[in-house]
Amino acid sequence: MSTNLIAIQARDLSRRFREGSHEHVVLDGVNLDVRRGETVALRGRSGSGKSTLLNLVGGIDAPNAGTVAVAGIDLTNLGERERTLFRRQHIGFVYQAFNLVPTLNVADNVRLVLELNNVRATEIEPRVGELLDAVGLGNRADSFPDVLSGGEQQRVAIARALSHEPTVLLADEPTGNLDEATAETVLELLDRLVRASGHTMLIATHSQQVAGYCDRVLDLHNGQLRQGST
Amino acid sequence: MAVFGLRVTVLIALLVCGTVPADDAMAPPSKLSALLGSQADPEFARALQPRKFSFPEDHGPHPEFRNEWWYVTGNLDDDDGRRFGFELTVFRFSLAPTAPDSESAWRSNQVYLAHLAVTDADGEDFYVAQRFSRGALGLAGADSSPFRVWIGDWEFSAQQGSDAWQLRADDSAVGIEFELAPLKQPVLNGIDGLSQKSAAPGNASYYYSITRLQTTGTLRIGEQTFEVSGLSWLDREWSTSALAADQVGWDWFALQLDDGSELMFYGLRSADGDRDANSAGTFTGPSGAATHLHAKDVEVDVLEHWESPAGGIYPAKWLLRVPSLELALTVVPVLNDQELFTTVRYWEGAVDVRGTRHQLPIRGRGYVELTGYARESAPGDSQ
Amino acid sequence: MLPATYRASLFYLLRHPWQLLLAILGISVGVAVIVAVDIANSSARKAFLLSMDTLTGQATHQVIGGPRGVSEDVYRQLRVDQGIEAVAPIVETTASIGEARFTVLGIDVFAERTFREFSTEARTADTEDKDPGALITRLLTTPGGVLLSQSTAEELGLAAGEYFDVIVDGQFHEAKLLATFGNDDGAGRLLLTDIATAQEWSGSYGVLTRIDVRISDDAGVTLADVEDALPAGTRLLSAAGRTRSTLEMSTAFMTNLAAMSLLALLVGLFLIFNSVNFSVLQRRNLIGVLRALGLTRRQLLLIILAEAGFLGLVAAALGVVLGLVLGEQLVGLVARTIDDLYFRLRVTSIDINTLTLLKGMLAGVGAAMIAAALPAWEATTYEPRLAMARSTLEHKANRMLPVLSFAGVGLMTGAVGLIACTNTSLVAGLVAVFLAILGFALCVPLFVRFAARIAAPAAAAAGGTTARMAIAGIASGLSRTGIAIVALTIAVSATIGVSIMVDSFRGSVSTWLQQSLQADIYVGTQKSVMAPELVSTISALDGVIDGSTRRLTSVESEDRRTQLRVFELPTASYAGFELLDNSPEQVWPAWEKTDAVLVTEPYAYRFDVRAGDRIPLPTDHGVQQFLVAATFQSYDVDADSVVMHRTTYLRHYDDDSIDGLGLYLADGVSADEVVAKIESLGANWPGLYAASNAQLRSESLQVFDRTFVITDILYWLTLGVAFIGILSAMLALQLERARESATLRALGMTPAQVGGVITVQTGAVGVLSGVAAVPLGIVMAWILIKVINRRAFGWQIDMSINPGILLTTVAFAVAAALLAGLYPAYRAGRVQPAVAMREE
Repeated sequence: MSTNLIAIQARDLSRRFREGSHEHVVLDGVNLDVRRGETVALRGRSGSGKSTLLNLVGGIDAPNAGTVAVAGIDLTNLGERERTLFRRQHIGFVYQAFNLVPTLNVADNVRLVLELNNVRATEIEPRVGELLDAVGLGNRADSFPDVLSGGEQQRVAIARALSHEPTVLLADEPTGNLDEATAETVLELLDRLVRASGHTMLIATHSQQVAGYCDRVLDLHNGQLRQGST
Repeated sequence: MAVFGLRVTVLIALLVCGTVPADDAMAPPSKLSALLGSQADPEFARALQPRKFSFPEDHGPHPEFRNEWWYVTGNLDDDDGRRFGFELTVFRFSLAPTAPDSESAWRSNQVYLAHLAVTDADGEDFYVAQRFSRGALGLAGADSSPFRVWIGDWEFSAQQGSDAWQLRADDSAVGIEFELAPLKQPVLNGIDGLSQKSAAPGNASYYYSITRLQTTGTLRIGEQTFEVSGLSWLDREWSTSALAADQVGWDWFALQLDDGSELMFYGLRSADGDRDANSAGTFTGPSGAATHLHAKDVEVDVLEHWESPAGGIYPAKWLLRVPSLELALTVVPVLNDQELFTTVRYWEGAVDVRGTRHQLPIRGRGYVELTGYARESAPGDSQ
Repeated sequence: MLPATYRASLFYLLRHPWQLLLAILGISVGVAVIVAVDIANSSARKAFLLSMDTLTGQATHQVIGGPRGVSEDVYRQLRVDQGIEAVAPIVETTASIGEARFTVLGIDVFAERTFREFSTEARTADTEDKDPGALITRLLTTPGGVLLSQSTAEELGLAAGEYFDVIVDGQFHEAKLLATFGNDDGAGRLLLTDIATAQEWSGSYGVLTRIDVRISDDAGVTLADVEDALPAGTRLLSAAGRTRSTLEMSTAFMTNLAAMSLLALLVGLFLIFNSVNFSVLQRRNLIGVLRALGLTRRQLLLIILAEAGFLGLVAAALGVVLGLVLGEQLVGLVARTIDDLYFRLRVTSIDINTLTLLKGMLAGVGAAMIAAALPAWEATTYEPRLAMARSTLEHKANRMLPVLSFAGVGLMTGAVGLIACTNTSLVAGLVAVFLAILGFALCVPLFVRFAARIAAPAAAAAGGTTARMAIAGIASGLSRTGIAIVALTIAVSATIGVSIMVDSFRGSVSTWLQQSLQADIYVGTQKSVMAPELVSTISALDGVIDGSTRRLTSVESEDRRTQLRVFELPTASYAGFELLDNSPEQVWPAWEKTDAVLVTEPYAYRFDVRAGDRIPLPTDHGVQQFLVAATFQSYDVDADSVVMHRTTYLRHYDDDSIDGLGLYLADGVSADEVVAKIESLGANWPGLYAASNAQLRSESLQVFDRTFVITDILYWLTLGVAFIGILSAMLALQLERARESATLRALGMTPAQVGGVITVQTGAVGVLSGVAAVPLGIVMAWILIKVINRRAFGWQIDMSINPGILLTTVAFAVAAALLAGLYPAYRAGRVQPAVAMREE
């Protein structure tokens, strides 16, 4: 596979945490290749290391061993500042707890990432409107997160995550805080938007419902990654 | 010059108080008339009738009168012929008729002030300095025996038994140290020394002059010292009141002629511009014989004027005629700008004299004093 | 438009108005105190300089003589013999008009022209007849004729031409107001008169207080000209130098005030720290998200610092305004103290200069930034994770404790080192105080953890699980509670320190007064000499068996002004001097018979002399060397002074005046009766006062207490700031634990029980702060007594720790904490149980 078709490439990725005298191995030689435009579900029990893997791919955390590259950029060798700039440009996050900035309204939450990416002000406004329309919240631009339902908050989060056209969208249990019906709506939206724009997506979840939307399912077990059964 | 005495009141008023308020300054006549109107304490002595003068005692002070001064002017040259003029005057003023009783040596009714002016004719410069003091504590005062009049380190003095005077005055820019030897006896002006200044009784002074004093000594201008010699003139006058309300100023001439005679004349000017009838003068012959001159005896024509840069137009060339003496004199200032910006503004300067006496040419030098031509003090000038 | 990230913080601040308000208030009060003290100090200083300006005018130098002044012959010699023009004679004395005291400035108008501006000012004066010439004539010829400033005349209800009484040296004199002048600056308490009148009032015939000299390029006189003309016993001193040395007397006092105001800001600084720290902790999740979204560390740091800067700016602005108000109140107190202790001072206008305001703004913003620096830095260390568990956070805080404590010990060591390495520097002493406080503060959290750990089981035994939870909560919430405790600890310890200092000081003064006041009755007149006939009348009163005389004066040389206290005492009262470095057998004969003097302990400290040294003193016969016979203890307000026997004094100075008497009574004679008799003489001798030993002692202590009123006020303000700190911390903690409270409510606790947990917690915070404050307070007291006071004033004070002070202040800390906990407790009780169920 040529590298420009590879969105995420991980080799022999290991991550250990020290808890007192005990060393806890979370990831133990993980290899992962995700093509551009592919959506991959990462399954596993609580504490299986899904979030850790997501953190490593997102440049939030660094591995103890192995390499990880996103869009051909080897994250292993990046410094703190470079990793921040990398995240800002290449990664979009969708959290289980939505994590909207409570003191900013819906539009500002989306605008935030665009501003961080130094998008020109004249381009930000139409882009924000477009994104909010896309997630069906064009009329809630001035609302603050605390008056939105969980589903609405997550839709704002999706708009925010996609606003800067990231290479990879990382989602950590995006429906974990939502009821089933709402989850379905959100997943459909996510799926539609991601596929429409050809984004790569890595979703950590233990939900079969979520996995069903993905091209590929991987299971994380005892620090190892295996092809999952759909 | 007699009228000058009243000016002392103005000086006292101004020297401590700084500038005359602007509206007052615009109207010197009212200022003068106000002073004249202010009644002197009746306990002061007055010049009501002629008195007997005796010297050297009368060179000393007369504190029972309100005003008194020692007034010396002179024209001098150094060995190279460089021409100078000088004026050194000490005024005494009694604030009250009697000295107050106090244990404090500062408590005094006597106030002294002095003016020093030096004219550098060749350098075309004019220098003025002044001193003030109360007559207490030895800071300033006047004694008759031995004669001494002083204010700070400026003084007129004479050795006991000698009629020669020493003059000394020094300021940052100029200084003089002269010895004056009288060439003539004192001349009593007016009627036996009683000089009537206006109609009312007592509006008069006692007034004598020594019209010719041989003068030698040193004169300093800046760092330069000159050995000088020439002639001086002493005016001595004391009074309690003199001027009338409508008298606004005066022109005073003290001229020393090369035939050994001297002419003194003061013209009092009224508010309407006329010469006052009380104007008078004295002609002193070479032998010292004095002739009293009445106002009508002397004709004065102003030939030229000079406008002071600070405002005010002064006469600057005169023709004086005394027909009874067959005397005609053209008087020209050696410098136009000999104006004193002391607490009271006036013009006092060295002059040259040319003319005729009995149809024969005559020359001389002298001093002229002009008052009441300009505002008392330039605006903003707090000197 | 603000970037979204900054808008986010602005909205965050606005969403927590309480926290915002308290943080702002805390720093505001700190800034206000700084500004107020600065205003008070600079107003006092400016008023003094203005009045000195008025008094010295254009004089560059002054000729002064011995205690009686300069002979007026010297003036005549300068003017007549030397022909020096730029000199002016001055006779200065003090007069009272009713209750108001005035400086009488006797001048010679003829010499004044180049010195002072009254002459031209009088031009606009409303004289009786608007004739300035007449005014001068009257000034010279009217004994008792004076000029007053327009406002003073109005204050006294006097119009030009009116007569009134003045009292000089206890004698009535008739004065007449000749005119008023408009120049009010610095001339508020000035009676301008002719030099003759001034001499007649003060009886100082033949002498001048001083001769003003103006040396300038155009004056044509050099310093050497004047100096050469001066006889022995007179000195030519620079006017600016004299002003400076007078002002210097109060410098230590002003420095101490400024230091106290800094303390208030320091406490305010902890508040901002607390507030920013809390805001960071509260947003740690959000910060993690923002970091994940690509906010760099630098951007984050800037945002938090900007927040703090904004807070600081608002707080400082508020503080400056508050300070202006407070300053006006403080000016009076400061001026009064200075007037009591140092020199005649009347502050007529409040000096508010831009520098003061700038200082206040800078202090506020700077303090906020400094306080925010650590939390801001800490925020940048938050990993860009999705969330961070609080346990990790507390874990981290706990891990930091030993490091902090270590740094604290380092700072305290630094303080000790600083004190040890510097001998006299007051500023170094003050820096040491602050280092000690900071160092100790850093150790407090560790102490709290230990204390809470130990106290928790005990609390459980006493109050059950609820109490255990409350106590344990303190330690587990150390990242928040710690700061509040530190702030309160500092405030309380400052109170303890200062209280112990003042109390010890007062004790020492009281003991000293007891010992040094040997006579039964003390008699004097208001800061002036006593007439000889008065002295003999009083000495001859029935029951008086012995007496001492006193003369207080000062002599000046180029570099210092030395207070001279001249005594003639019965030998029995020599015991009143606590000699510190020589034996009485050696001291007293030498003191009586030879050129030997005693020096006060502050004098010895300041000029580094001891028994056996020689000190030069200017006398009427030139500078003479005097043997220091001994150093003795003295807490007199004229701190550094030299005590001379009257015989010695008369040998060197032409001044036989007496300004105070000590009377010794026969056994059985009532002091009060004799005092009454003396007071009955007061009709003829206004200003005469007599006080029995006991009265004088209590009056002295009253003056002492009044001096420390300012100190008290400043510390109350500091405590106020600390109180705000506790309130804000507990409120923050309560917000933070809303879910915990809700869970407790859900589990079945009543609102009162939940509130009780908070109350127990705040009470415990108070106790812990109080307990921690005790050692710090004692250390501070020690530094204040042994270092600051010593360095500022030279006093040696015996430190005594009054347990009552400790108990009261600790009780106050607990009360303050409890009070501050009331509202948070009420809020906690009102939390709806449903909150617990909602996901964050």
